[in-house]
Amino acid sequence: MSTVVEMLNVTKTFGEGSSIVKALDGVDIRIEKGEFVAIVGASGSGKSTMMNLIGCLDRPTTGLVKVAGEDLSNLNDKKLTSLRNYAIGFVFQSFFLLPKTDALDNVATPLFYRGVPAKEARKKAMEMLSKLGMADRYTHQSTELSGGQQQRVAIARALVTQPSLILADEPTGALDSTTGKQVMDLFENLNREGITIVLITHDLEIAKRAKRRITLKDGKIINDERGAA
Amino acid sequence: MNILIAARLAFSRILATKTRSGLTMLGIIIGVMSLIALVSVAQGATSGIQDQFKGLGARNLNITGTTSTSLTIDDAREIEKEPGIEIVSETVSGRATLSSNQASTRAQIVGVDSDYKSVVDPDIFVGSFLPDVETASDARLIVLSTTLATDLELDAFSIGSTIAVGSTEFTIVGILDDADGFGTRGTAYIPLETAFKYVAVPPYLSSITVQTINEEIVPEVTANLTALLKARHNITGEREADFVITDASQLLDAIGTVQQFLSLLLGGIASISLVVGGIGIMNIMLVSVRERTREIGIRRAIGAQQSQILTQFLIEAIVLSLVGGIIGVIIGEIVAYFLAQLGEWNFVLSPSMILASLGFSMFVGVVFGVWPARTASKLKPVEALRFE
Repeated sequence: MSTVVEMLNVTKTFGEGSSIVKALDGVDIRIEKGEFVAIVGASGSGKSTMMNLIGCLDRPTTGLVKVAGEDLSNLNDKKLTSLRNYAIGFVFQSFFLLPKTDALDNVATPLFYRGVPAKEARKKAMEMLSKLGMADRYTHQSTELSGGQQQRVAIARALVTQPSLILADEPTGALDSTTGKQVMDLFENLNREGITIVLITHDLEIAKRAKRRITLKDGKIINDERGAA
Repeated sequence: MNILIAARLAFSRILATKTRSGLTMLGIIIGVMSLIALVSVAQGATSGIQDQFKGLGARNLNITGTTSTSLTIDDAREIEKEPGIEIVSETVSGRATLSSNQASTRAQIVGVDSDYKSVVDPDIFVGSFLPDVETASDARLIVLSTTLATDLELDAFSIGSTIAVGSTEFTIVGILDDADGFGTRGTAYIPLETAFKYVAVPPYLSSITVQTINEEIVPEVTANLTALLKARHNITGEREADFVITDASQLLDAIGTVQQFLSLLLGGIASISLVVGGIGIMNIMLVSVRERTREIGIRRAIGAQQSQILTQFLIEAIVLSLVGGIIGVIIGEIVAYFLAQLGEWNFVLSPSMILASLGFSMFVGVVFGVWPARTASKLKPVEALRFE
């Protein structure tokens, strides 16, 4: 098994002087390929900071963060951006589809940024939309889709680049319970296909669906349990 | 990212936010419109004058004496024998007092021969020019310019009535249209022989107008005539000639310079409004970047490089200014067309002017789009994603 995410003694602080805030305080984790991990914690526990680091959106203050084998501290903005494009498939709570853009191009956009020719990118995007049962909606813009449909398009966008991991930030937070359950079923199926999934959530019921739960409190890991809850 | 995709995205944004885009483009539209309209006014108005000169004849040469006794009828006879010459027209001029029943004024009286009409083609306002058969004779007929007729308190019904030149009665046969000629203002025309009797001394001429067989040989004929007249007037070596030969090309050159200056001046003024339009684009783009912070965050998260965000916003600015420019060109040409109708000059659609305007508006888009686009590209992904 290869390691997808590795964190060694990671701290992340915000602000300076007396108003300094430690968002992460000595975090060590390893996430291997094929895992389905939930990072759980209350608001302010440091899980957003954790997500930003795993998502290559930020660098640690001290310590080592390696994503897909790359040490984030060694990367400039350009390489960090490339790493996000190649290694991470983001799924957000509020879907974050691009406005004024149809479903097909939403899914194809990460490939556009990678330099894949438009025709080929759209072909791959179409395949991914079909896989998620959204093929008949490919001309729809986000405003014409339901929440569940939007999240499916967003997941297709995350998957189309064949990333090292899917990083999902409260993916069911904006959905009703039925649709939320469907999305979680989808994640389970994807994980069964071998896709690594990291789920950030405060919802323990959702976290139970993961195979491993890492609990954060005040910037520290207080629990790391494996197996079905 | 593919520039085509960015351009398509820019177009769909413009269509999706029509009111705002329209208002943003308004500055550019007005700028380009005034640029096109003003420059076409400058060119149209002066090309009208140029056309008049061409009407006077690009084939024409005008020889004037530097003293009142420089040119003679014999000079004219000799010039007629030169090759490449079609018509030679002789004129003399003198000053006299013109008196109607109502008023009197001093005026330049020009005596012209029967060829004058075909060389100069004067525009008649009312009546006719001096009739051919009688120009060579000593008939006491006179043609007045509108200005003179006005000074003498004469109206269009004065054709056929008489006025006094000095103390001699002349019959008015026509009044010239001043607007359409050059140097006719305040001038009266009488037959050449008559002029020799009353206002000038034979055999001296004040000018000789030569019409060549075509435009191309004008310089050659000029050289020939210069040599001929120098020989006849015994002018050798460094001595200055006692005559001047001018042709239409010199006047046309001068008018061309005026036209260029006018175009630059009016174009410059219009360009200022184009720059103001650019500032408008910059303002709206800055607002737009702020509003779309979240979108920029998403794009950065899924792998857009700073340069790709920069390109996207720059292309939006360019598309805005270019579309504005195209609309401006269309409206500007329509305005120019109606101004041309109003000012009675030729409407000329200038492709180079259109291209220059579009190029300039694109340039404005780039210059004023850079700052907002840079702002967008420098947003930190983490913060941009959190932005509400």
